[in-house]
Amino acid sequence: MFLHIPTKEVKPYELSLNTSHGTSLLKLACLCLYRKKQRGAKMKEMGLLLLFFSVACGKVTGLGPPGKPTLTNCRSPEKETFTCWWKPGPDGGLPTTYALYYLKDNSETVYECPDYHTAGRNSCFFNKNETSVWVNYNITVVATNKMGRTFSDPVDVDVAYIVQPHTPENVTVNVMEDEGWPFLRVSWESPHKADIRSGWITLVYELRSKMEGEEEWEEHFPGQQKTFNIFSVRSGSSYLVQVRCRPDHGFWSEWSPTTKTKVPKFFLGRSLWILILVFSILVVLILAWIIYMNCHSLKHSILPPVPGPKIKGFDHQRLKNGSYKDGLGALMIPEYPPSSSSNDDDLLVEYLEVFVTGEQDISMEEGKEIQDHYCKSESSTCDSDSGHGSCDSHTLLIDKCKETSKDELNSNCEDASEIIELEISQNNQDEKTLSYDGRPDTCNGRVKTWPSVFTPLPQYTLSAIPQKSSLEIVKQHCLSDTLFPPGSMSSNLVNQNESFGPSYWEFSLNSKQLPQIHSQSSKHLQAYSDINISKKDNEITTLFKSTQYVEVKNVNNKDMVLLQPVESGSQSHAEGCPHVHQGKDYSKVKGVNSDKMLLLESGVNVMGQETATCFCDKSETNAMKESGYMSSANVWKHKHPPMQTVLPVQEEQKPFAANGYVDTATMFSTYNSFFI
Amino acid sequence: MNRIMILLVVLSLGVSSQQITDSQRLFTIAVSRVQHLHILAQRYFGNFESSLGPDEKRQLNKIFLQDFCNSDYIISPIDKHETQRSSVLELLLVSYRLVESWEVPSRSLAALSRDQISGKLTELKTGLQLLIRTNQEAAFVEGGVALGRFEDYDQRPDQNLRRNYELLACFRKDMHKVETYLTVAMCRLSPEANCTL
Repeated sequence: MFLHIPTKEVKPYELSLNTSHGTSLLKLACLCLYRKKQRGAKMKEMGLLLLFFSVACGKVTGLGPPGKPTLTNCRSPEKETFTCWWKPGPDGGLPTTYALYYLKDNSETVYECPDYHTAGRNSCFFNKNETSVWVNYNITVVATNKMGRTFSDPVDVDVAYIVQPHTPENVTVNVMEDEGWPFLRVSWESPHKADIRSGWITLVYELRSKMEGEEEWEEHFPGQQKTFNIFSVRSGSSYLVQVRCRPDHGFWSEWSPTTKTKVPKFFLGRSLWILILVFSILVVLILAWIIYMNCHSLKHSILPPVPGPKIKGFDHQRLKNGSYKDGLGALMIPEYPPSSSSNDDDLLVEYLEVFVTGEQDISMEEGKEIQDHYCKSESSTCDSDSGHGSCDSHTLLIDKCKETSKDELNSNCEDASEIIELEISQNNQDEKTLSYDGRPDTCNGRVKTWPSVFTPLPQYTLSAIPQKSSLEIVKQHCLSDTLFPPGSMSSNLVNQNESFGPSYWEFSLNSKQLPQIHSQSSKHLQAYSDINISKKDNEITTLFKSTQYVEVKNVNNKDMVLLQPVESGSQSHAEGCPHVHQGKDYSKVKGVNSDKMLLLESGVNVMGQETATCFCDKSETNAMKESGYMSSANVWKHKHPPMQTVLPVQEEQKPFAANGYVDTATMFSTYNSFFI
Repeated sequence: MNRIMILLVVLSLGVSSQQITDSQRLFTIAVSRVQHLHILAQRYFGNFESSLGPDEKRQLNKIFLQDFCNSDYIISPIDKHETQRSSVLELLLVSYRLVESWEVPSRSLAALSRDQISGKLTELKTGLQLLIRTNQEAAFVEGGVALGRFEDYDQRPDQNLRRNYELLACFRKDMHKVETYLTVAMCRLSPEANCTL
């Protein structure tokens, strides 16, 4: 048995007793209590009494009037109609009906809700005809069942202030592009019932958006507009958008259903892509141009030119093969003058230039590397310094032991010089004219002869001489060439009818290049070594120590130039300084007679010691300098093989100097013997 | 003759269009002003209600508030249908009356007088007068100025609370009415202006 005792107000209570007649009695008692409660009677006493009675009676079934309903809210979506909802109280166990009654201000008439069904259960819908704005509605809901009726608390309603519109409709989000950047354009429509067009209601909107995955919404207030743009949108992500609205004085509507939009990826604007493309193309072009401008230097830095030992006309392979033992082959210089197709390597090669000061003058310059103090000592035969000016203009051989730079050489070459034609026999129709055709590769009139490194061979055999090692050897050598006056030479040569053979320059310098001496010309670069040379048959008999300078002693009846060593020169050579040669020497060319003979005259040769010294010192200090140098161009022909001495060195050698300078102490013998 | 007629029609159209343009502008101004007043009224009422204690609230709720607004005598459309049936001039007139009815009482209320509500009402009234004149060449106002029957208000203290409450509620309501009427009138005259957005 369950007994519920109400303590405050009358509430349905349940008593269940198993007595049948007690039930009816209880019902009566309950109704009486209910009525009494309404009349303000005391509840507690009645309740206890009833309880006692009910307990005595047995079972009691609890039924009562319905509970008090409550009006939850009233809403108008468009200020033309409105709806009220209520919440029913607990019913008394009996079917309960609800009724809504309302009063409009200014009248006592009670109206009942016209429509209980449109808005759903426990609702009352007021249509347009029954809705008045700015009118106060007093609404009450009554719950009725068999046991009684219950009234709810009245509520005052003014339609103008309970407006809550529906959600905005047709919310669309479009992805648009503004100067390459994407943005969202949200557009919507007002709820279809809200009459905005006539101005009856004015709505303001609110929009919120967020990226998919975020938690916080971003709110925007478009005001009364129906479109809105959302910028700062990231490409490749999805966005959720919601819209709601509110009348200027009312309640916010519900949020519209979420509209989802995805911003496509790589939405970069066209302008941005074009900008990137143009910039990259510019960068590539600039790089290409830079590389092109510096391609030569790049090439040099990456692939530096290999300074190869180049001897024009010299077959390296043959040298390597050692097939030059015969000597002549190596000396064969097929090409002379060196072709003009020399490459850059040739620039590094120093030239032995032969200057022609006069028609018959031959000036020669020595390359820097060639310079040697020996040369200077040789030039002691001259009466002046070893330079150009020291000797007579007739000197054929000018030993320029000066450090002429390459540029100077080259620049000197620029000078207009006469064609170096060591025409020993001007009138000699012999082909074998010792003439340089003056086709040195760079100089116009100068014969460029290379300082040759003369490796002394005891056997006077041609052998493959390594180029590099010749450097050292060269230092010890001084090559000197003798130029015989054309006249005398020619006479000698003619008589001898021999050619000295092709001269051979052994390059002491790596970068030297054999001057391409015309094979026809019997130019001989005579070099003599200061190394002792063993005498062989018809070979040099003279033994030379260190550098020896020879001078033309005389010319014998056989038209042979007799040379004699210049002793002072050798001594000075050891010191590195040219000695002052004093004494007679026949190094000065007096002139050329009608027979085309060089006339030498004796004279005191006062050497320009200073310059010679300087030069020689320089030549010594210069490691790169070769000891040998091209001092002169050969002017005579040598018929005999180079290893054969044509002219005895010591005896009855007629000293002669084409240019007044004869520096071949062992001119004939040595050069014969040193011809390789 | 026909040409003169055509010319007169064109002139009148031009004049009327000019008037319409002017009335549009005036309407816009009037609507914005009344909207502002409505917002103020809403604020006052809300502040007043929040300042009430629970006892006061109960006291106020028990009283069945009806017909306490002094402007109730002014007949005005009370629904959309009636409003749309009314002409622009009628709406203007009603609005004018409502505004005028509050011109004096707004000075007595402390809350209202603080923000010079009375002055704003006067300005609004002037604008409405202009609007009425532009919309009707005829003499203004039939029936003259309606005097507000607002002189009797209780001086009792407990009535003060009630009176304030009523006043503020009525003021808010009337402002809302005027706003609605003017908006409808404006939208009717120029549908493209802020009505179809």
